[in-house]
Amino acid sequence: MPRLPRSLVAKAWRQDPLLPLLLRPCRDLGSARCELRWLKEHAAKVIKTASNKTHKSVLHQLCKQRARGKPLQYLIGSEYFGPIEIACRPGVLIPRPETAASVTYLIEQFCHKKSADLTENLKVLDLCSGTGCISLLFAHLFPFDQTKVSDLQVVGVDISKTALSLANLNRQKLMDLEPTTTSTSARRAEVEFILGDLRSDDSSRTGYSDLMEFLRLEGPVWDIIISNPPYISPKAFNTDTTRSVRNFEPRLALVPQISQQGLSDEEHGDVFYPQLLEIAEHVSSKILLMEVADMAQAERIAKVAKSWSKWDGVEIWCDEPAFDGHQKCSEVVEGVQVRGRGDGRSVFCWRGDAKIWLGK
Amino acid sequence: MFKSPWVCSRCLIRTCRSGSRRTTRFHSSQSSTSSKAIYPALLTRARKIAAEYKTVSEQLLDDYDVNSAKKTGELAPVANALKRWEDANESRRELRALLDDPTTDSELRVLAAEDLDTSTQQLNEASQSLTKSLVPKNPSDDLPCLIEIRPGAGGGEATLFAEDLLGMYRAYCSERGLRTKILNLESVDSGGISEAILEVESPGAYGTLRCEAGVHRVQRVPATETKGRTHTSSAAVMVLPSFPSSQPDESLRIDVNDPNSDFFIDPKEVRLDVMRASGAGGQHVNKTESAVRLTHIPTSTVVAIQESRSQIANREKAWQVLRSRLAQVRKEAREEEMLKLRRSVVGVARIGRGDKIRTYNWGQQRITDHRSGMTVHGIEGILAGGANLEKLMVSVREWMVEREVEDMIVAAESA
Repeated sequence: MPRLPRSLVAKAWRQDPLLPLLLRPCRDLGSARCELRWLKEHAAKVIKTASNKTHKSVLHQLCKQRARGKPLQYLIGSEYFGPIEIACRPGVLIPRPETAASVTYLIEQFCHKKSADLTENLKVLDLCSGTGCISLLFAHLFPFDQTKVSDLQVVGVDISKTALSLANLNRQKLMDLEPTTTSTSARRAEVEFILGDLRSDDSSRTGYSDLMEFLRLEGPVWDIIISNPPYISPKAFNTDTTRSVRNFEPRLALVPQISQQGLSDEEHGDVFYPQLLEIAEHVSSKILLMEVADMAQAERIAKVAKSWSKWDGVEIWCDEPAFDGHQKCSEVVEGVQVRGRGDGRSVFCWRGDAKIWLGK
Repeated sequence: MFKSPWVCSRCLIRTCRSGSRRTTRFHSSQSSTSSKAIYPALLTRARKIAAEYKTVSEQLLDDYDVNSAKKTGELAPVANALKRWEDANESRRELRALLDDPTTDSELRVLAAEDLDTSTQQLNEASQSLTKSLVPKNPSDDLPCLIEIRPGAGGGEATLFAEDLLGMYRAYCSERGLRTKILNLESVDSGGISEAILEVESPGAYGTLRCEAGVHRVQRVPATETKGRTHTSSAAVMVLPSFPSSQPDESLRIDVNDPNSDFFIDPKEVRLDVMRASGAGGQHVNKTESAVRLTHIPTSTVVAIQESRSQIANREKAWQVLRSRLAQVRKEAREEEMLKLRRSVVGVARIGRGDKIRTYNWGQQRITDHRSGMTVHGIEGILAGGANLEKLMVSVREWMVEREVEDMIVAAESA
């Protein structure tokens, strides 16, 4: 990381003595200024509840923590995920805007004339749910009025109890915000979060068989699976992640934890994807959306998904999948379409009835 | 010998000239709407409107309908003014007939002559109010507005003055209970601002504040000046009707999807950029940038907003600002045509956006509006949004109505 020029620090100090602190994590004046404004707003809120503190001391404390690299979302306690606000706490991964873009784009695919053919009871799985952002955004955005879905069931699965309690809190908050969704006739979205382990490679883990049992009883068919699993390889964790991610966000949500030896770095990062494909087989899913790290990983995963030959189509979605410039499908990698612009962000597989729902 | 003491010739001349001081104003276009008689073209239009008012209000008696009720509300002032004018005209004609009649006895004649004066005056007033009522109400007047302030000529001093103006409008709005919100604020390192967008959310704000648009000039000794010289700088203020994203009042809603509306923008013509640094994304990084930039490709209008932490909220705000800016451009293009028409007939230059509209002179503690020609004193009071600012704004609004009347007369004549 290049050193901050002294002139820049001096310039920042002249504007506000707290700005140089924020310059350390932000690296540029514009975003430092924005963060200072948001922290000021947050500090004003904090002193309303805790009257024994002054605005100045609270703000100073916040800025010092931010200077050490603590993510702004943990300090303020929330992050916007698409149109909804998601509570964030240390120990749970902060939702990323790219994930929101992918989920929003997936929902847009259902706003199609032929999507009226969607089944009445739509079941959606969100594996590695974390804050529960994907499940809640899906339920929030789902176009009930354009489809004949009357009962939408979304289940989020996560291995962390901290994440689970936060996801339940987020669900409660959102329910309080929009009581209308429950009252609109029979059409409703039900969101729940359960504890579960996705990994079957270790026989000492009992969570996996319990989860499969649950899915069989509740399902047995789960139409859509969305997942944002840990996908960073140990080497990339040490080199590519930013300091605030490495030091403050849970490693459990970023790097797959494995027991077996002798895997290469890449294979370590990809460990979750065969598992997801297998679960999709188990519950006969028609749509599978998996987030990935970059184009290279997207290509590897797409190749694996293609080789299973159980999917009618495999696509790679980029950071901004909704972007259609002059060419809608910019390039074709081994029969896999790439949508949007930016780095590879997710792998999208579909088959069977999904062909009609998506209007393919 | 001379009885009286010696007096200098200059003084002698001056005593003779004491009554003949200059009374005409040369530096701005003081209002000159003293047209007593009403234009026949306008009269026919007023009659047409009154007839329409009659039919609509009769319909309203049979079955109530919100839209026609609203329409009668709009037409009523014209119909009332026309009625007053006709009454006055009628009474004057009767008095004339009485005076012209040779058989009228002398006592009655004296009375009639007295009445004729008052009724002539009434007629003048009635025709003026009729003309003013015919000025079509600006449809955007009921909308909230955006005030954009940018420094003009004058460097650092201009940025300081722009900040003063921003403070002035915020104070003015808070004093009058208008809700405001800063949409964008770009401060300059040396103090002052390089751009500010202030949203006034209360409905009707555009009608109140649109007279503020233009170049504001300041004459003062800047804080940055070391030798005590007075500088002249300026700041540009733009007032745009704002299209609120969620308008609770149904009657104020403007359909943005209507291609004929000024607010319509084809989404295909807009490029959306989410400002994000290149490099790894997803779980690797945790960025807080939520800035959104919209570019309207045909006019290359750019709007960038980074006020909120929510990208969606920023995007909506950016759309709102873009709509308002483009609508203003379209409106100005229309007005430009109108102006050409008027110039070709009247030959009076209207003070456009390029010219200064108001001067703030610190040394003399004076603020002069160059459109209405009004001068008030007390800079501090004005910058705190005080009563004098309101007085200035009222005078400008009256001036604007008079200009619109002129426009209307020209249009009616050329039609």
